[in-house]
Amino acid sequence: MTENILNIEGLKTYFFTEAGIVKAVDDISFNLKKNESLGLVGESGSGKTVTALSVLRIVPKPGKIIDGKVEFNGDDLLEKTEKEMQKMRGSEIAIIFQDPSSSLNPVYNVETQLRDVILAHQTVPKAETRKKVIELLEVVGIPEAETRMREYPHQFSGGMKQRVAIARALACEPTLLFADEPTTNLDVTIQAQVLNLLNDLKKKFNMSLVMITHDMGIIAEMTTRIVVLYAGRVCEIAKTHDLFERPRHPYTEALLAAVPRLDMKKTLRIIPGNIPNLIEPPSGCRFHPRCKHAKNTCKEKIPVLEEIEPEHFVACHEWQNISLKGERKH
Amino acid sequence: MSSGRSITRSFSSLLGSAMFRYIVRRLLYMIPVFLGISIISFFVMYAAGDPLSIIRIGKPDITQETIESLKIYYGLDKPVPIQYLNWLTNLLQGNFGKSLRGGRPVNLLIGSWAWETVKLQLISILLAFAISIPIGINSAKKQYSKQDVAVTSISLFGVSMPTFWLGIILIIIFSYQLGLLPSAGSRGAPYLWWDNPILDQIAHLIMPVAVLVYVMLAQNIRLIRANMLEILRSDYVLAARASGLSERKVIYKYALRNAIGPVITYLGISLGMIIAGAPMTEYVFSWPGLGRRYVTAAMELDFPVVMGITMIITMMTLIANLMIDIAYVYIDPRIRLR
Repeated sequence: MTENILNIEGLKTYFFTEAGIVKAVDDISFNLKKNESLGLVGESGSGKTVTALSVLRIVPKPGKIIDGKVEFNGDDLLEKTEKEMQKMRGSEIAIIFQDPSSSLNPVYNVETQLRDVILAHQTVPKAETRKKVIELLEVVGIPEAETRMREYPHQFSGGMKQRVAIARALACEPTLLFADEPTTNLDVTIQAQVLNLLNDLKKKFNMSLVMITHDMGIIAEMTTRIVVLYAGRVCEIAKTHDLFERPRHPYTEALLAAVPRLDMKKTLRIIPGNIPNLIEPPSGCRFHPRCKHAKNTCKEKIPVLEEIEPEHFVACHEWQNISLKGERKH
Repeated sequence: MSSGRSITRSFSSLLGSAMFRYIVRRLLYMIPVFLGISIISFFVMYAAGDPLSIIRIGKPDITQETIESLKIYYGLDKPVPIQYLNWLTNLLQGNFGKSLRGGRPVNLLIGSWAWETVKLQLISILLAFAISIPIGINSAKKQYSKQDVAVTSISLFGVSMPTFWLGIILIIIFSYQLGLLPSAGSRGAPYLWWDNPILDQIAHLIMPVAVLVYVMLAQNIRLIRANMLEILRSDYVLAARASGLSERKVIYKYALRNAIGPVITYLGISLGMIIAGAPMTEYVFSWPGLGRRYVTAAMELDFPVVMGITMIITMMTLIANLMIDIAYVYIDPRIRLR
């Protein structure tokens, strides 16, 4: 039996803004097995990033984790002191952000930024940190690491910047890595390179990976299991293969249908409507205003996540009464 | 031997460096700016009135002959452009001319007044920056906390309050009511305050410094707070936190250097304006400084004194601006000299 490295239960992270309380993450539960690649999918604003930030406990103000459990190797991270948590960040759990141009500090060179991460967790002499920095940059595929580490982020191309950001995340060999849309801001050709790199590094460093994205193509390639989020709640959890072939939640179906395909003659299919206002989210199932299968119960009762077949969970009142179309074999 | 050679080499590499060429070019640009300002100030000053007519107010019985001879003595009988050229020629030789009130050399006058102003200003500026940076950062860190609200309200009060008003209030309380501090001048006469020449100077500095610091502090805290708030929301600060860096390092290394730019600009401008001083504050506390003299000279139409001080302010502002730009290059590697 494989152990869970991460176990999230009933996580609630709210943002207390002047306009009201934004329930960005509202009762989310899922787990992550050791060495697994899990996909976290959903539209912008579905709570993917906030979930990752909550695990690291770096939710920016006015956000606050108000309830739940985040067990990492059996320890609840939400019970830890700030100091204990600081030691975990970067060394046990790391994150790669979406836009490397803004996630790297513009006024320090690459060596300084990587060295600071190493020194935050280890006491090593200066000569050795330099060696370590060069090694890291070589691992992520930056040529002439020794000269380039003295350069500043703006002297790197987008893809190279993301490689530097990956090197920073891996500096202390974390066991759990969040990749928050790591390729959204990159050219398609560079995307493939960075994704391959991530896959290689995951194996090399024996990491568990949480891939956050809204790109179903990336998810299909990179992950073995998927959590589908909608408006701060979990809709469906399933093995990647199952989810693509037999989606059980209408939102998952719509998400799959919205992927543009070359062999389709029809125009791009979109999901009608917008992601709801999270200050006053729709009652019952949050997807009901946009769902073509919605019944009265959907407006009234919050659906619970139930296991409908081994390792396939869905939160939908109507799942037994509807037949949904999946994707053909990939 | 070898060290001598390496010094020569590093000197020649300095001469060839982009920074050196940049500084030389900027210094050359200063010449037309300097001349432009001097021409404008000179003619504006001239348009303000006839300096000798004021003498007639003080001495109604002065004869036309005396006035004519004074005119010749000060060179005021020549056409204005010629006067300007004469003034400029003297200036380039380091001679600011003579005061129209008493005929003493302007160089000497400025020299004897400048020290008191520089002392007052330098202490205030350094104190204000030393205090405001940590307060501003803290305020940004704890946005909307009680501490932050208190700091921002007090700052707003400081920004909107006239210095002379605050100065007078201080004098009423600490000099008039409590008799704790001297209300005027820069040193004790006829007797020493607190029986010691150094303590005496400090006693005289306390209130004017307090007024200047408070006003600068207010500006500065708001500036630092606003910049810090923006930077603290940035991805790289979040990323630094996510990497497990200590909060200290996140704030003082990763955020501060990105937020400090406008503060450096403000510091540079303050240092450039140091000579112009704070005429209001100098007036209220009868501070024997340049700022108060500058205003008096302008009211008395004392051309050479006004022009002399104006040109020193111009020079210092230009140099301060150059220094700000050079400082930026060191703070932010994205800025390149062209």
